[in-house]
Amino acid sequence: MSDAPRLWSGSEALVTLVAVSAPLVATILQQGPARLVFLALGLGLATFWHLVFARIRRRWTGWDGLVTAAIFAVLVPEALPLWQQGLALSFGLVMGDLVFGGRGRGFLSPAAVALAFALFSFPVSAGAAPGPASAIAALAGGAALLLARVLSWRVVAGFALAMAALQLLQPGWPALPGATLILGLVFLIGDPVAAACTNAGRWVYGALAGALVALLETAGGGALSSVVFAALLAGIFASLIDQGVIWDNVRRRARRQRHG
Amino acid sequence: MQIRFRKGRDFDMGPAAANTPAAVRAVRRVGLEFRGFPGLIVDALVAEGDPLRRGQTLCVSRHHPEIAFVASAAGRVSRIRKGARRRIETIEIAVEGDEECRFDVEPAQTDDAALRALLLQSGAWVAFRTRPFGRIPAPADQPSAIFVTATAGTPLAPDPAQVLAPQLDAFARGLEALLRLTQGAVFVCQPPGPALVTPRERLRIASICGPQPCGLPGPHIHRLWPVSAQRSVWQIGYQDVAAIGDLLSTGRISVDRSISVAGPGCDRARLLRAPLGAELAGLLDETQQSEKRLISGSALTGREQRFLGRHDLEVTVMTPASDAPRGAVRGLVAWLRQSGTGATLPSEAFERLFPFDLLPVPLMRALAVGDIETVERLGGLELLEEDLALLSWRCPSGSDYGSLLRRALDRLAEERAP
Repeated sequence: MSDAPRLWSGSEALVTLVAVSAPLVATILQQGPARLVFLALGLGLATFWHLVFARIRRRWTGWDGLVTAAIFAVLVPEALPLWQQGLALSFGLVMGDLVFGGRGRGFLSPAAVALAFALFSFPVSAGAAPGPASAIAALAGGAALLLARVLSWRVVAGFALAMAALQLLQPGWPALPGATLILGLVFLIGDPVAAACTNAGRWVYGALAGALVALLETAGGGALSSVVFAALLAGIFASLIDQGVIWDNVRRRARRQRHG
Repeated sequence: MQIRFRKGRDFDMGPAAANTPAAVRAVRRVGLEFRGFPGLIVDALVAEGDPLRRGQTLCVSRHHPEIAFVASAAGRVSRIRKGARRRIETIEIAVEGDEECRFDVEPAQTDDAALRALLLQSGAWVAFRTRPFGRIPAPADQPSAIFVTATAGTPLAPDPAQVLAPQLDAFARGLEALLRLTQGAVFVCQPPGPALVTPRERLRIASICGPQPCGLPGPHIHRLWPVSAQRSVWQIGYQDVAAIGDLLSTGRISVDRSISVAGPGCDRARLLRAPLGAELAGLLDETQQSEKRLISGSALTGREQRFLGRHDLEVTVMTPASDAPRGAVRGLVAWLRQSGTGATLPSEAFERLFPFDLLPVPLMRALAVGDIETVERLGGLELLEEDLALLSWRCPSGSDYGSLLRRALDRLAEERAP
């Protein structure tokens, strides 16, 4: 390849950073400067861990930790003390992403790992739920990611279908999607690193995540913990789903060649 | 048979050449680049300074000495450039005079073995490429089908229907010869429009439309006659088929090809008739020659080299890459992009660029880690470098999947060798 008209290196991180800034601003406006303090701490921590791993590995692994920190800052319960938030974010950055060699080499969304750590270790009440402004901002961010094809519409459609199907089966289940759910879908479940990487697999992955969210929510989890743990579980199953799709593709091509 | 591809993407690289007859362009130098022939080692039969006639054998393949490369112009060998392990990389010829070799075509009209011998000896054989592996076929090889690519590979390439219009007889004669090289079918893949040749039982026509890279043979073969470790096909370009037809009727090799010279660095796109291996700089107008990058092939799949590649029908003229981007914001964006991650981000966009029923992201991952068994299982044998160009363009990691695939294919071919 000699002279491609445009290169995509690093653009995904930029697009995601732009997309997450809308709900970030909405959250900060709603909850005041406390978030701003944590956002600053989070960005500092992300830079710190990236520098540490760049030194250990002797190669720079990109700026994606900043995106992780921003997503975490939007979703983390505000009642959590600052040091606990910092600990959880560090865990997510290191164990969810950097130990694997950076963005694109792990198999889970680092923000989901960080949030799961926080929810497991320091149970607090979720506090005030994000308001409608956050929901609208989350939708705008999701639309931007869909347009940039970072977020797959197949994951979103599979997710919505599964949730709708479960609603129909059991009408008592949670009705309107709140801001937390949208944010979780766009930034945690929809993270391309965590999601399945084949088109058929994306449908299955989205549906699995949707079903898990609905199940966990009826089982009594809050909106945040349901979406976070659904993202983790679905992410763990994503490679298995892809293996199924690969197996089917190989079998179909072999059959076509025998009869072709 | 009509095939419409939906996946892929066309780039705007400036206007294509107008539909005018190609201007004949004489060049002062021609050269044979061996970079486009993977797995090939050649032994030279000429030395620097030797006089040459057109059609004279320059060198032969070391593994199959029957496969000859011939001079595409009369003149003198001006340079034989060698690379690593003293392998011949380029043979350059300074063009002078008009002497040529004549080939005895009588026995080839009826005898299949004589036809093979003629194609091998006249240098026409090297126009074939096998799939899998993308190499020159062995002299005794029997393909399960032959694909003639009569589609324009990119929007800038010459229009095959227009180029072939005055040569339809030669094209049909060439197809007859191809039918004698295989027991299987010969597929002619052409753009929508009147059929270039009347279809018969073993001669099939497929009309193809869709965005880039659907003009390349890879997607056609994948759709019509998928290859595997057990089943191989040959592919050949439409102008080479017409050249075979010419050879069979006249006994002289036909070296001129209609090529387009276009691209963002070019004032006016034009159609030229120039010999195989023409020096690219000689194809530009005198006034344009300063400060251009010349690519043999398209902007996505071509190579920056001095001479026209054997399979290329297009020269893309690019302006040299501009200096560092100016302005604080553009500088910041460029800086963030430079610190790319080196790993694939499996976004949905790859599927939209890949007109194969294969799974691009698993394939790219297998290529990136060099897992050749998985590459083979995922259908890597159906692909050549050019088929992955769009994935490399889109991938944030900056990997060149074409060269990774070439490495995997070479290793797979080595394992298969007896």
